[in-house]
Amino acid sequence: MTSALDTFPVTQMPADGHYGPAGIHGVSVRVFDPPALALLAARRGGASALTVAAHATLGLALADAPRLARANGLGTIGAGPGRWLVLAEAPEDLTARLAPLAAHAAITEQTDGYVGFELSGVRTRDVLAKGVAVDLDPAAFPPGAAATTNVAHINVTFWREPGEERFVFLVARSYRVAFARFLIASGAEYGIAFAHRG
Amino acid sequence: MRIPCPYCGARDASEFAYLGDATLTRPDPAAPDADEAFHAYVYLRDNPAGAHSEWWYHSGGCRRWVKVARDTTSHAIAGAELAGGAR
Ligand SMILES: [Zn+2]
Repeated sequence: MTSALDTFPVTQMPADGHYGPAGIHGVSVRVFDPPALALLAARRGGASALTVAAHATLGLALADAPRLARANGLGTIGAGPGRWLVLAEAPEDLTARLAPLAAHAAITEQTDGYVGFELSGVRTRDVLAKGVAVDLDPAAFPPGAAATTNVAHINVTFWREPGEERFVFLVARSYRVAFARFLIASGAEYGIAFAHRG
Repeated sequence: MRIPCPYCGARDASEFAYLGDATLTRPDPAAPDADEAFHAYVYLRDNPAGAHSEWWYHSGGCRRWVKVARDTTSHAIAGAELAGGAR
């Protein structure tokens, strides 16, 4: 038996389109390039000073926990103690905007380092159950909850967006094809709409 | 086996890399008995059946070292804390 993935080389992203039984649409995947992305890592012993400065200069609330927070066009995602990914909603010179924090944190430009996958639809958690070993029940993983973990042997950082069954994954760019193939192989039975946008 | 990372929460052991005994202290390389001390530090290990304190690196999660109190006979974990004391 062959699958749609057999027709694509493992070195290239699968084509946009619908995978699975015709007329069934359980999951939508939107692949996107982050408009701007940076990693903020507090200097040794400087996490509390960084938190104060980030709030005073940029209006950011940096919780030292795996959570998403948004303010002033920026999303911050806790990736480890004293470390946050900062994702801009629109293209901008993010490292310049974060520069006032340089006394308290190492700032590393990551815009081209990651690819985003936004998953939505009623069967999203059924797809993720095949690769995510984190409890995604809303009681345990509510909107704004985030995690860094391995999915199908691929390291990812992801979070749940507010609203119904919507998750965003950041995947290292060199692993994007493998992650896309995991999603399509796991989601085709539910009908998966796969598209590059934004 | 699931390890309760203080930052990430309970995660499968496959996300971690194992280092070993967390009670050892690296010897002073300038001490006169450094050769013997390093031999013992690197090669000589107890193999306790029961309570053990050990290092696990959360490579698939927060990228921090975690000191885990684990029972080697049951894998029951009594506690975990981040290296360096933070959190
Ligand atoms: Zn962790």
